[in-house]
Amino acid sequence: MNAFLTWLVLLAPAGAAVVITLTALRRPATAARWSIGAILVAFAASLVLFRAGATGETAVVWLDLPGLRVDFGLRLDPLSLLMLLVVTGVGSAIHIYSWGYMRGDPGLPRYFAGLSLFSFAMLGIVLATNLLQLFVFWELVGVSSYLLIGFWYERPAAADAAKKAFLTNRVGDFGFLLGIILVWSVLGTLNLAELSAKLRAAPPAWGAAATAAGLLVFCGAVGKSAQFPLHVWLPDAMEGPTPVSALIHAATMVAAGVYLLCRLFFLLNAPALEVIAWTGGLTALLAALLALQQNDIKRILAYSTLSQLGYMVMAVGLSGAGGHPAPAMYHLTTHAFFKALLFLAAGAVIHALHHEQDIWKMGGLARKLPVTFWTFLAGTLALCGAPPFSGFFSKDTILTLAWEREHYALLALGVGVAALTAFYMFRLVLVAFTGPAKSQAPDHAHEAPPVMTVPLVALAVPTLLAGFWGIDRGYARQYGAEAAAAHGWAAHLFEPFAHAPMAAWGGLLAAAAGFVAAWTLYRRAVSDPLPGLLGAPARWLRDRLYFDELYAALIAATQDLLARVVAAVDRWVLAAGLVRGTAGVFELTGRLLRHVHTGNLQTYALLLAAGAVVLLWWTLAR
Amino acid sequence: MVNDLAVIGLELAVVFAGLGVLLADLWLPAARRPHLALVTAWVLGLILLASFGIEAEPVRTAFGGMYRLDALALFFKRFFLLAALLVTVVAREFREGFEAGHAEYHALTCFALAGMMLAASAQHFALLFVALELVTVTFYVLVSFPRRRVTALEAGVKYLILGALASAFLVFGIALVYAATGTLAFEALAGRLETFTGNRLVLAGLLLVGAGLGFKLAAVPFQIWAPDVYQGAPFPTTAFLSVGSKATGVVLLLRVLFEAVPSLTARSGPLLSVLAGLTMFYGVLGAIPQRSLRRLMGYSSIANAGFLLVGFATRSTEGVGAVLFYLAGYVFAVLLVFLVATLVWRGAEADEIATLGGLGRRAPALAASLTLGAASLAGIPPLAGFLGKFLLIRAAVLGGAENPALYWLAAITLVAAVVAIYYYFGLVRAVYWGEEAGSASVGPVSRSARAALVACAAGVLGLGVFPGPVLGWARLAARGLGL
Repeated sequence: MNAFLTWLVLLAPAGAAVVITLTALRRPATAARWSIGAILVAFAASLVLFRAGATGETAVVWLDLPGLRVDFGLRLDPLSLLMLLVVTGVGSAIHIYSWGYMRGDPGLPRYFAGLSLFSFAMLGIVLATNLLQLFVFWELVGVSSYLLIGFWYERPAAADAAKKAFLTNRVGDFGFLLGIILVWSVLGTLNLAELSAKLRAAPPAWGAAATAAGLLVFCGAVGKSAQFPLHVWLPDAMEGPTPVSALIHAATMVAAGVYLLCRLFFLLNAPALEVIAWTGGLTALLAALLALQQNDIKRILAYSTLSQLGYMVMAVGLSGAGGHPAPAMYHLTTHAFFKALLFLAAGAVIHALHHEQDIWKMGGLARKLPVTFWTFLAGTLALCGAPPFSGFFSKDTILTLAWEREHYALLALGVGVAALTAFYMFRLVLVAFTGPAKSQAPDHAHEAPPVMTVPLVALAVPTLLAGFWGIDRGYARQYGAEAAAAHGWAAHLFEPFAHAPMAAWGGLLAAAAGFVAAWTLYRRAVSDPLPGLLGAPARWLRDRLYFDELYAALIAATQDLLARVVAAVDRWVLAAGLVRGTAGVFELTGRLLRHVHTGNLQTYALLLAAGAVVLLWWTLAR
Repeated sequence: MVNDLAVIGLELAVVFAGLGVLLADLWLPAARRPHLALVTAWVLGLILLASFGIEAEPVRTAFGGMYRLDALALFFKRFFLLAALLVTVVAREFREGFEAGHAEYHALTCFALAGMMLAASAQHFALLFVALELVTVTFYVLVSFPRRRVTALEAGVKYLILGALASAFLVFGIALVYAATGTLAFEALAGRLETFTGNRLVLAGLLLVGAGLGFKLAAVPFQIWAPDVYQGAPFPTTAFLSVGSKATGVVLLLRVLFEAVPSLTARSGPLLSVLAGLTMFYGVLGAIPQRSLRRLMGYSSIANAGFLLVGFATRSTEGVGAVLFYLAGYVFAVLLVFLVATLVWRGAEADEIATLGGLGRRAPALAASLTLGAASLAGIPPLAGFLGKFLLIRAAVLGGAENPALYWLAAITLVAAVVAIYYYFGLVRAVYWGEEAGSASVGPVSRSARAALVACAAGVLGLGVFPGPVLGWARLAARGLGL
């Protein structure tokens, strides 16, 4: 029964994608029904599995040869169960919301087919039992992300963004693939359970390759989770439809990198973890700084996503050898809820303003769009880490972790980022939702239909309450650590302040400071006062510190050189020599052979007999 | 006696199906006779299903050990049933090409099928010869079935005369073996072979038997007939020739080489490797300049005989398992190509590849099916053809540890496989980028043809993506040879 349900979770979205592509490309309502139905079925099945606490593996043999056995399997454990719930639960809300947001778009069936394909791929990553299978789904996620970012392919910006996302990810995936090959060549298996058991039984089996493999695997996470220096694709990916940004580029796909690190945590040793922690911390800081001077509502959210992913990666790195990365997964989960909520609410704003995304053309939306405003505010508070919102608890576990590991540099960095986060998020809220209207656009704004607001409210519930559900303990179980639960809601709320007061108060006060700064600067602002205060640095931040330009120049230079060499080789060695030459030889022999086939029966009979004679002579006369 | 009949139940069912079709044709009113094709297909499908109810263990024999029902035999019987079933569907679509006697065509298909299935179980040279002749004689008729077409008659005559020559070699070879050893049973021969080491009579006899079987297989140097006969024969017959008739040669060669004369085969040196290499290259090189689809498939058939011989040359369980898996993927891909070709040209005589131009726009589903079939034949991952070639080359590389010549064979196979991509993609190029050849739209596709297309496409894809079960059967069957 459990095996059946697990397969159902994985295959329902795949089935929907196939059915839509084959039969419903011109019938939007049917396509939406299939896609939404499939994700709801997957969600229900995940809930049943979670309730039953099902664990274990089910596998079919994909290829079985002596010396090479590849399974296609599904693995259920606390980690994958919770992640299943996140992906299908948040996914369900976003699928339903899409039906309202994308209504009337001529490509709607294609959109839903892409969304279902993505769900299938993401669930495949979550459930994979071996690295090869994981990699296949990893790439499939990349493909579906490409299709969805470039959904409005007739817009050059969207097409470029899709290409950029795909290529940037490919850089990371190359490292990941090398890592997989390294693991296979050293340890001789790709099955996660076998790998883990092997390493636990004989840690020296790993030897010197450990750090290299850990960092190579981390390359994959750097690409998918958009960590520095491969962070450039995520802000551009906002060219896709807003629900796509919510599902793929905020809640699930970009979290796949963090999930991968937690899945393969046993592969990572201390030096690798140190690199991971610093990469995460730097990304968190860099992204928070870049977010300060963005004016596009979705881009601000995109940078905040980067920054939060940085937190998660930092948490994985801080867990250290012997610890466990449950805080990273905890923050991943709450972040999925409130970031999906923020994106969907931003989508409602964009929808109401007829695709206006510049916050300096908004203002006073709180009165026009009450549901959107209150849910957006809830998401913002969670993101800033205000108690009792879920984000407070998950962020606090990360800061506490830094405190416990006595990693004060990263603790200070985390606290600083918390202040920046509160600052740029309240800049967004105050400018867009309060104060005077800064253009005519907000005058005609109307609240979105229920099909869009209901998912907002549905996501606001976990945004507020997920901190009390013991999600962190659920993840800790994966790594064999049982934490005692605090008794009662009030006790749970105050527990962080008693447990690690420096971390809790530090995070809270930093957020408050950020809020106060934003309040003074943006309460009544009609244009951004920050460039006046900061001068040139503000302009650098607005221009994203010129990463894109740097990469473009770098890539152009190397590519030009490479292209010249390759073109010369291609033209003179491959095309002229090998291809033309070989093809010519084969063509010629082929044409010569034709002359044997005269169609003359006597000749044929003679040749047949001659063949037998030659054969006899060759065997007997020697 | 009754026990024996129970063991050959599948063959009996097929023979009775053929007789039933003939009788029904007498009594049915003319308007309803075309339905006989579907009835035949259903009956063959049911027999195929029933075959899965038969256990290969324990191995059963009949007629004093002449006939053996083991995993290898079952694998091939299912293979032949599937091939005949699909060929019947092709023949139904081709009906405009026959002026009369549709029912005879299906009945003859059944009789040929019975011959193939008997051959799959042969443990005695007498049964080998009788089964093979049943297949060959039926095919003389099937090849020249459109009897007013000069090309078909020419192909039929060529096949008859060259086939007779090959049969003569075969019988002469059997006679020599009997003269030298005094037995025709495989098991007895295997037991006595050691005493005849170095006996030229036995060796010559076996080579001549090999010539007869090589003719069926279309392997060098007995390949010369294939392009001409393939080109002249009606589409369903060509399909059946390239799948059923070839596989008959494969299974008989397996039985003779590894069951009747295993010790001689083990000492045969590079003979099989050389023949495999020559056959592959003859096929792929000959295919390049072809413009007729059936002629192209004729050369492709020779090339595939070469690929199959690679598995023989390894003389290992791995290699034989790869041969069986390769055949399973091959039947789907070939039938996919011939189904599409039949649906496009119907009963017409022409089959210029250039006239496929613009099919991608006229009939996108058919074009996609043809592409799938060609891609599998070319060995593009993740299709069945890729995995088949991969397994064959892998078996050769594994065997290379003991017999370094196999490394060379693996390399040659790789080159031949690459060249093969060239001409199969000529097909794909014509379909999508070729010049629009006539705007005639392709007629409606019947439900049975559509089901067959879907089944073949699923087979080509399924065997590539989930090879597990079929590969398991193939390896099980191969293990029975005791290599």
